[in-house]
Amino acid sequence: MKRKAWCGSADHPVSRRGFLGAAAAGTAFAADMTVLDALKQPALAEELKRQQKRVILLWLAGGASQLETWDPKPGVETGGPFRTIQTTVPGLHISELLPQQSERMQQTAVIRSLNTKIADHGGGYRLMETGRLPEPGVAFPHLGAILARELGRIDSHVPDHVSMYTSTEGRRKGTAGFLGARYNPMFLTENMMPENIRRLEAISEADHQDRAALRDFFAERFSRTVDSAAVASHGTAYERVRGLMASDRLFDISEEPQAMRDKYGPTQFGEQCLIARRLVEAGVPFVKVARAWWDSHGQNFETHRELCADLDHCMSALMDDLADRGLLENTLVITLGEFGRTPRINGSLGRDHFARAWSCTLTGCGIKGGAVYGKTDDKGETVVDGEIGAADLFATIFAAVGIDYEKEYMLGSRPIPIADFGATPVEEVLA
Amino acid sequence: MNSSLKIARADKWNQSDILFCVARPNDSDRLFVGSSDFGVYEFDLSAEKPERVRLEGEQHQSYVTGLAVAGPMLISGSYDGQLIWWDLAEQRSTRVVPAHDRWIRRVIASPDQTRIISVADDMLCKVWDVATGELLTQFSDHGEKTPHHYPSMLYAVAASPDGRFLATGDRVGHVAIWNADSYEKVGEVETPVMYTWDPRQRRHSIGGIRSLAFSADGTQLAVGGMGKVGNIDHLGGPSRLEVFEWSSGTRRFEIEDDKKKGLIEQIVWHPSGDWLLGAGGDHKGFLNIYDMHSGELVTQESSDGHVHGLVADAALENLVTAGHNRLERWTIAAG
Repeated sequence: MKRKAWCGSADHPVSRRGFLGAAAAGTAFAADMTVLDALKQPALAEELKRQQKRVILLWLAGGASQLETWDPKPGVETGGPFRTIQTTVPGLHISELLPQQSERMQQTAVIRSLNTKIADHGGGYRLMETGRLPEPGVAFPHLGAILARELGRIDSHVPDHVSMYTSTEGRRKGTAGFLGARYNPMFLTENMMPENIRRLEAISEADHQDRAALRDFFAERFSRTVDSAAVASHGTAYERVRGLMASDRLFDISEEPQAMRDKYGPTQFGEQCLIARRLVEAGVPFVKVARAWWDSHGQNFETHRELCADLDHCMSALMDDLADRGLLENTLVITLGEFGRTPRINGSLGRDHFARAWSCTLTGCGIKGGAVYGKTDDKGETVVDGEIGAADLFATIFAAVGIDYEKEYMLGSRPIPIADFGATPVEEVLA
Repeated sequence: MNSSLKIARADKWNQSDILFCVARPNDSDRLFVGSSDFGVYEFDLSAEKPERVRLEGEQHQSYVTGLAVAGPMLISGSYDGQLIWWDLAEQRSTRVVPAHDRWIRRVIASPDQTRIISVADDMLCKVWDVATGELLTQFSDHGEKTPHHYPSMLYAVAASPDGRFLATGDRVGHVAIWNADSYEKVGEVETPVMYTWDPRQRRHSIGGIRSLAFSADGTQLAVGGMGKVGNIDHLGGPSRLEVFEWSSGTRRFEIEDDKKKGLIEQIVWHPSGDWLLGAGGDHKGFLNIYDMHSGELVTQESSDGHVHGLVADAALENLVTAGHNRLERWTIAAG
């Protein structure tokens, strides 16, 4: 299976300079697009369209087993006890542990040929969060930071990058690296309500509003006499803070009807998936929901019986909810972890770390639902067709949401492509 | 009891698969095992080098996790939810019964060998007529979900030697005792320590009641599993045995051992009631002898692989264990 690389034509991707120009225009003129007829300007229309894209990463921390999820091998010595089930896509079978997903596979593409080689938690996490191997002296940004930068709006009133990770094992915040703190995640660990964005209790709501109005009054008068980018930036920063302070209700699922909460179920993962939907609906471009901890060195089958039930139900509820709201076509839902698990079953009926042949899924925005890419051998020990690495997966994710995966950031005078050098997207899973 | 009992390995036969269960017609040399390759095999232990022979006919579609001998028949249960009857003389399957909606965890025969009792992750205990394969009754006292909203599992079932009682045990540590004629619940005991839920680090669970055994007089019930686990990625908890006078709910003993960790998968009482044998393991295996007067673990032996199944003679002097990549024969004698 050969993959087509991005053609590289100048006609396809918007140029970086044009891109940035359009982004700036989008920011400046978004307040009154009807007057400017903005959507008739191709670059700007493309930019605005791209800015409606969202990504939810369901992070299967610790490493879920591909054999108990997306690439089952029933009846062989490495296959384990579970059977497969036919999905809504002819010829596509997944583990019986995912019955609800089996009814929704026409919306999902499966990649069964990840070979990322690094099979320790720390190294695997660093690779799969940045899409490349670490380099001394360069702080590469997390996937979420890149997507926040590329899909977010500079004047957004909601967070760009939200990460939920309540379990303590394997918890890593993820960093925006050289993109700067602006793109660091709002990182929720102990509870799901962001800390430090609430109005101080000592200040009443009326006082809070009055202060804002007074600041706006002086700022507006000042800006009439001083035409300065610094002043404009100052004003934007205040707007953003006020927006973030007002966004705390997005995390409050008690605002949802009980029937909707019931659809997601009573587990913490379900509640966090519901929060993720609320966030992307409000315009948050990247949300990570970590579901730990899949590191099943002992009792792999019992662990997956538990955790797959949670994943199957919550992911299905999320997909349905996004689809019902018309959001799925613009929201990419990813299942991914730091690696998969060994085909060999150890003495504790466990599976150990394994990065040579494992799977992930992509659902929704920009994805050809029902596609299956890559193949492993009969025992699941090696990739025999369509091998890809982390960089290729990142290129695929970027392409799915309309980002030029060859785009470069400049770190000083050094260009750094957002997907690592040599990466190519998996065209077969792209719509 | 004689505290100088010694466990000694007499033979070991390496296997390429995982053997989950073992059964033997009354003290014969014919031994049957259930395998991770979905097969049921016979070994002739009288041979110098026993060769395995796969029983023919209809086969299971998943791990074979329960075996019981009832007269001329062998009945196997599997994670595929099916029970299969095998004719021991013909070495062929004769009946396939879709028995449970989820994994079958354990299959036993009633002491008179007229009934088969199976437990599964549909949380049901079902009783079957050996002669006809018909379902006689089904019952449960076990919730389908754990307190943390995940699927529960029903691992263990045992019959009292006099055939009057059954006991069933689940993942969260609940044991129900049943009248084996009316199938009404007549008692219950709780062993919550057997279930470890990690709410903070890893947010899932491990453990469960993996073995049950009544004493010879039926008054005491031994419950096997694993104690609290720090890191639930591994079977790293202490083996744990609890013994109850079940009619009053009195817990006589709680015995944990950290030297050889893991689950107690099998329990066999000595006919005298003076001691019992527990076997299981983590990635390695163990056989433990517990004094039922003092409540102490008095003798311990290791296996190189996790022990899943065990069959012993009536005097508990000779036994065979089935486990991860091996079949082993052991003796127990005064040292």
